[in-house]
Amino acid sequence: MNYPVWQLPFPGGILIALVAVTHVFVSHFAIGGGAFLVLSERRAYRERDPALLAYVRKHSRFFALLTLVFGALGGVGIWFTIGLVSPEATSSLIHTFVWGWAIEWVFFFVEIVSAIVYAKSWDKLPARDHLIVGWIYLVAAWLSLVVINGIITFMLTPGNWLQTKRFTDGFFNPTYFPSLLLRTAICILLAGAFGLVTVGRRTSVERDKIVRWAAQWMVLGALLLPPLAAWYYHSIPEFSKAYFSGRLPAAQHIARGGIAFAALALLVALVFGVWKPRWMRMPQILVLLVLGFGVIASFEYLRELVRKPWAITGYIYANDVRAEAVERYREAGMLKTAKFLLSEDPNSAAYGQNIFVIQCGKCHSIDGERAMRPRVRGWDAPFASDMLAHLEVTRGTMPRFAGNEQDRAALGRYLASLNPAFALNASAKEAAGGREVFETRCGSCHTIDGPFRPLKNALRGAAAEQIEALLPVLDSMSPNMPRFSAPDSQAHALAAYMAHALAEAPDKEGR
Amino acid sequence: MQIPIGIPDVDPLPLPGPVWLFKFLLLFTFTLHLVAMNCALVGGAAAALNALRGRNPLHPFSRRLAAELARMLPTLLALTITLGVAVLLFVQVLYGNLLYASSILIAAFWLSVIALVMAAYYGYYYFEAKHGATRGAIAAASIAVLCLLSVAFIFSNNMTLVLTPARWLAMYRAHPNGVNLNLAERTLLPRYLHMLVGAVAVLAAAVCHMACHRLKKEPEYGGWLLRRWSLLFAAASGVEILLGLWFLLALPRSVALYLMSSGLGATVFGLGMLGGLAAMMLILVGAQTRRPAPFVHAGFGLTILTVALMVGLRQLVRTAYLHPYAQPESLATAPQTGIILLFFALFVLGLATVGYILLLLARAKKRAGGTPIQAAGG
Repeated sequence: MNYPVWQLPFPGGILIALVAVTHVFVSHFAIGGGAFLVLSERRAYRERDPALLAYVRKHSRFFALLTLVFGALGGVGIWFTIGLVSPEATSSLIHTFVWGWAIEWVFFFVEIVSAIVYAKSWDKLPARDHLIVGWIYLVAAWLSLVVINGIITFMLTPGNWLQTKRFTDGFFNPTYFPSLLLRTAICILLAGAFGLVTVGRRTSVERDKIVRWAAQWMVLGALLLPPLAAWYYHSIPEFSKAYFSGRLPAAQHIARGGIAFAALALLVALVFGVWKPRWMRMPQILVLLVLGFGVIASFEYLRELVRKPWAITGYIYANDVRAEAVERYREAGMLKTAKFLLSEDPNSAAYGQNIFVIQCGKCHSIDGERAMRPRVRGWDAPFASDMLAHLEVTRGTMPRFAGNEQDRAALGRYLASLNPAFALNASAKEAAGGREVFETRCGSCHTIDGPFRPLKNALRGAAAEQIEALLPVLDSMSPNMPRFSAPDSQAHALAAYMAHALAEAPDKEGR
Repeated sequence: MQIPIGIPDVDPLPLPGPVWLFKFLLLFTFTLHLVAMNCALVGGAAAALNALRGRNPLHPFSRRLAAELARMLPTLLALTITLGVAVLLFVQVLYGNLLYASSILIAAFWLSVIALVMAAYYGYYYFEAKHGATRGAIAAASIAVLCLLSVAFIFSNNMTLVLTPARWLAMYRAHPNGVNLNLAERTLLPRYLHMLVGAVAVLAAAVCHMACHRLKKEPEYGGWLLRRWSLLFAAASGVEILLGLWFLLALPRSVALYLMSSGLGATVFGLGMLGGLAAMMLILVGAQTRRPAPFVHAGFGLTILTVALMVGLRQLVRTAYLHPYAQPESLATAPQTGIILLFFALFVLGLATVGYILLLLARAKKRAGGTPIQAAGG
């Protein structure tokens, strides 16, 4: 609203997710890998194992090339990306945590210097001093997580900051410690997975020992995950937990995916690493890396998903609109409040499209990611406009619409124009057509007998005629209900479907 | 003041520290970033050229210089990036609303900076791995330099665009997909060239500084370095002054008037000119003397000081441009005093830690150290 919106062929949020997930994959390795290097080096000295030492030396070069370049620049990439896609939220974070970031920068600086020296000074420093540099790297790298974790967790659980606006209230928030330890476990897991990359191909007893050692790190990381993930889950807000209990099926799928990735990683590490290290070849190593990526990608994506509809919970919406500014935008309208409108004719199609880009485009596309065209199938402009008035109570919980009636009507017209055709299939059974009407007209807020606002109890036993009679007065039954503006044929099909489905739905006793 | 449409409102949250402190940190870190960037960018070009020349056995010193630079380039680029992160942090605090908006207008190019720097970084690492001795290494360094030149051009675009909010809405409406560049800006070319030629001068001064250290043990190589690079420094400084004048003349009249009428602007400008000229004289004259070190070191120091003065002048130009739209001094502040003190304490601790690491390296250099496994008795 305040800023121009970078118009991409896909939602901007996807760009943030892509950059962020690839960065955290490497940056968590940068932390865990530091521990892996220094402890492996120490082990090599203690056991007087030149093969292990030669491996650590080789691994340190790979580590430096990956983390110093890709890892460090990926972090800058996140900054660039969030500033381009969500400048308002980025500005809020900067204004709150600039000193936190400055502190993180100090650790980052030490981290970079020590990593360069560690990788380059094998022949220059005595063993003791080289190990000290490794320990310095490890401490600095983990401390940078200690800092950045406070800022990341703040976004989901800002805690008392919403009232006090104090740094420490936002930083040490309810998910701070579970997230810190959970991320540390992921660091350990990834250290093991990446540790396998440089073990070489030639089979030997020494190689077996190194493979087993790296796999043990993976096992430790994977075993720590379940209790820490459970702790993290218990710390997230109630509205986020609700997404896992069926309100947002995607959250369940990703959570299951994350668990499956971790379990598979554990299994592969145990079989191919601990039990039969000779079986650990490049394909298995690649699988482990993919699984490790899956673990962290699931976690990051879930963290973003269950924050919906917020960028900073309770403060700024995912579409970069401040919660406290919505009423002002609703009163004044976007013509007066949006600074970078592409069209200033509220009656034009371009105006509606522009509002879509500004208010919906961070998360939705027309035909791609979270596509709108199938979601608005058969919608007419009045219905779309009514839906926009109550976005915050829909099943997917969206940001409040930040415009006046004129804006809502314009966006409604635009949405209705995307997929107006909705012909009931005459050859199909009436109930099948009715189901489609239910999904496009009612499904955003209701289920028949699912976990989200089920209709089965309120309408049990109602005949199709009774349901059809209710449809014209929906908006008078509840201020949150839209007008039912579909043609009579659709109303008829919908009522028939609902009556049938309600009769089929089991009641509370499961009969 | 009524903010015209097209300029984002400033963040309603207060600044978490005094404006002067953010300004100081911005200018301080930017000066350091510039020096590192100058050496990383022009050092890459110099390394590639000398490596190419050094392929001829008649030019062993060129090969030697290329190999020396090869070892330094990845670290210089790492330093550039690390210091740049700090600049990005502090500039967002003071000018975030303007910087985000202008960056979005050129978003496609702005984001490509990350990929370009990454490519340059790997190019430099490859050059280092091959000691700058192969054709592939020269090609890698050349591509890296081209990438960094592109990055510098994108930065010049954004940093000029951020100063001219009146253009934004029209630009956005023309290309809302972030493929704009600020090519219509009169100061863009002189500013970009001013930065690049300044970078040549800074690297040249740094190499002269390095040459003085080489003179003791390798007088021929040191002398060769000093002769060539002192001339290059003088030439670059001369061109830099002309480019600076072009840049000044290209500034809008209102900006130039605001700048020079403040007194401070004229003083910083004058001191910068004097510093540049004095550094030029010191290094040129020093290179001809028997004991060039004191002259050259002083010239190098003055060059860094001149960079700092130019950074100050650049800030005054920014203030003059943005005067009608944004005045950070008027922003509300609510300093997070405890966290600020913690930052400075940790900053000192961080510097001490880095110092300790360098001490370990210096100590190891002094005594003949074996490999760690030998040292450990393995």
